[in-house]
Amino acid sequence: MKDKPILETRGLGFSYVDGTQALVDVDLAIPAGKKIAFLGPNGAGKTTLFLHFNGLIRPDRGKVYFAGQEVRYDHASLLELRKKVGVVFQDPETQLFSASVRQEISFGPLNLGLPREAVLQRVHKAMQDTGILELQDRPTHFLSYGQKKRVAIADILAMQPEVLICDEPTAWLDVKHAGQIMDLLTEINGEGVTVIISTHDVDLAYSWADYIFIMKSGKVIGEATPECIFYNRQLLEEAELQRPWLLDLYEELQRKGWVSAGLPPKNIREFLRSIRDKEPA
Amino acid sequence: MNDTPTTPGYQRRQSVSLLKIDQYAYINRLAHVHPLEKMVLALVTMIICLVFSSPATSLIVILSMAGMAILLARIPASFFLKLMLAPVAFLLLSVLTVAFVWVKDPAGLLWGFNVGCYTVGVTSRGLITAGDLFLKSLGAVACLYFLSLTTPMVDILSVLKALRLPPLFIELMSLVYRFIFVLLDTADKIYTSQASRWGYATMKTSYSSLGQLVSNLFTKAGRNYQMLYTTLTSRCYTGELNVLESSHVLSRKNLFLIILFEAALLLASMHLAGFLTPFAGGAGS
Repeated sequence: MKDKPILETRGLGFSYVDGTQALVDVDLAIPAGKKIAFLGPNGAGKTTLFLHFNGLIRPDRGKVYFAGQEVRYDHASLLELRKKVGVVFQDPETQLFSASVRQEISFGPLNLGLPREAVLQRVHKAMQDTGILELQDRPTHFLSYGQKKRVAIADILAMQPEVLICDEPTAWLDVKHAGQIMDLLTEINGEGVTVIISTHDVDLAYSWADYIFIMKSGKVIGEATPECIFYNRQLLEEAELQRPWLLDLYEELQRKGWVSAGLPPKNIREFLRSIRDKEPA
Repeated sequence: MNDTPTTPGYQRRQSVSLLKIDQYAYINRLAHVHPLEKMVLALVTMIICLVFSSPATSLIVILSMAGMAILLARIPASFFLKLMLAPVAFLLLSVLTVAFVWVKDPAGLLWGFNVGCYTVGVTSRGLITAGDLFLKSLGAVACLYFLSLTTPMVDILSVLKALRLPPLFIELMSLVYRFIFVLLDTADKIYTSQASRWGYATMKTSYSSLGQLVSNLFTKAGRNYQMLYTTLTSRCYTGELNVLESSHVLSRKNLFLIILFEAALLLASMHLAGFLTPFAGGAGS
């Protein structure tokens, strides 16, 4: 990747108090402005890595860099980092602390020391972007799980970060709502925000991400664009990941000569087009 | 669900009522009225009810609070009645201890029975005091029900904040309020999973399951707290939970009507208590 990295780690290592090695020598560079996915099974260290990006954990070894600057752990530098890198946690139930949706979202921008008018404007925009304007007067505990997830994302959007990190954004959501959340993340990325997600869903990572990191047992064992990474069978085997079914199917049809030539399709729509575009011989 | 009235089942039904009160607070017709107006109305009425210990005042208070909750806020009458009946059993028990006296000389008792050389019985004065107390308590309860059924907790907290109560106190209240629902939900899930495995089949298993439920909740609450602290920190938390206050507008018309109502209630109560005589002159406030 030639793009300037927005987040970078060098030799990052971290162990929990009980001795679990959560991260082992992680070296990575996250390109700015892209849609990034971290793929890996539960316990691979994705969440721990995300906590480092936000300065919530101080590494045992190694360093984290934001936009080329080494992350320092004094109060002011941490606040500055957290203003630019926002984390949406997996369980909105523990993230949402206020009983009012509007108050909940206003917490971050108020902490940034913005004037009331600016806060109101940001809260409104965050609610508009996440499609929860009609929920603003509802108490948090009346919301459905999917709605809480949107509020959790609005929480961070209202702080207008340069990097938005979502830990397992589709966890416990049904297919329709998971799709809506991923579309929302794509829109947010369209406004220039680097969006980072963690997932163990290969199909999701394949069709959504611009760039993929594969993690296992606290290490990054592979990284590439989705087109490349899923052709590396050895890596997939090592990571115990399956290939996206779309790719398998496409390859099979390609062998039979039933699809048009070109890049492999990223989603069903592209796949169908490559079948339709193929003129019958 | 288990129909035997084991303790957890009973608690579940209690919490359902609590959740319903909370729901009505957000959807009733008076939900968007400035919370200060409703707080003043409920609290001043309650003070009048408590100061004038007359059954007539108490009755007026009960009826007017019920009337406002049902007709203005559109709380279903049956639900309000159910809520009012909830403390009745408890009230009757406490009031009985007031009505009964323990005397050596049974003269003047309306009714009584002997316990050794003493007599336990009721006097007419005791009965009247008990009745007064009963109605007075119900009146105060009606005022609080009116407030909690019409005013969302978030609004009450913003009024308390405007009244310059210590921020620590308000933040604690708001966190407790928010996490009551998380706690109830968690307890409900644990209960269901226990009940589905015969956790509440007999009295014995019920007690052991309940014990596990409580200890489980405790550890979960601890973990939740840590997670909450992490998530707040990631949003630049520096020790104060700053949030935007809701922007309600005080209505002059409502304030005028509230003052009018309270004045009428006060005058009627004074009249009924005999403070107002035709010779007193003026309103005698």
